[in-house]
Amino acid sequence: MTELVSEDFLKSAVELLVRLVESAGAVVIFVGALIAFVRFLDAAVRHRHEPHRFVAVRLGLGRYLALGLEFQLASDVLRTAVAPTLREIGELAAVAAIRTALNYFLGKEIKEEQEQLAAERTDPSSSTPRP
Amino acid sequence: MSGTLGSAALLVTGAALLSAAAALLATRSALTSLTVLLDMLLAASLLRLVLDPTPVQLAGTALVVVVKRLASAGLRRAAASRTRASS
Repeated sequence: MTELVSEDFLKSAVELLVRLVESAGAVVIFVGALIAFVRFLDAAVRHRHEPHRFVAVRLGLGRYLALGLEFQLASDVLRTAVAPTLREIGELAAVAAIRTALNYFLGKEIKEEQEQLAAERTDPSSSTPRP
Repeated sequence: MSGTLGSAALLVTGAALLSAAAALLATRSALTSLTVLLDMLLAASLLRLVLDPTPVQLAGTALVVVVKRLASAGLRRAAASRTRASS
């Protein structure tokens, strides 16, 4: 087996996969940000004085960011397959932990915003007034 | 690839500033504008995190998230207390 699949080949294959998955994550985040930008401008021009329109766009952007982070986490997991030293694994663990925490807080925020948006839609007077 | 990602992050940062300005002009709401700005800045930070992020970049992104949560919570509380005081 070691003659069929050399360690170098395995490393290059995993490295390629890591780059592909990371690129996919970057594309998701970039496209999400561009879509959100267009929708923010649309909300500002066509739906003035309606802050809940912006919340809806932010929710969409949050979903794109969470998906992009998932891709980044997947690439971190892939990297552990070829991390040879304990130090490199430690660094990967730190990066993965921070990305997981970011994903957690992003998910929590999306949930809070969804609840706020649902409350505003059912009863506009129950929402927290904005400054 | 890092050059492309850097340019993309810069583009998103510019879009963040424009979106926040548009939100402020349209709604006259500091909270809406700030949350829009911080969400878009978070997207730019996440783009910078692709490809072997440095600890400083990671800390910068974490800081954006912390500022985002603190500012949102602070402005919401201030708005709520202003409403209570006026009623």
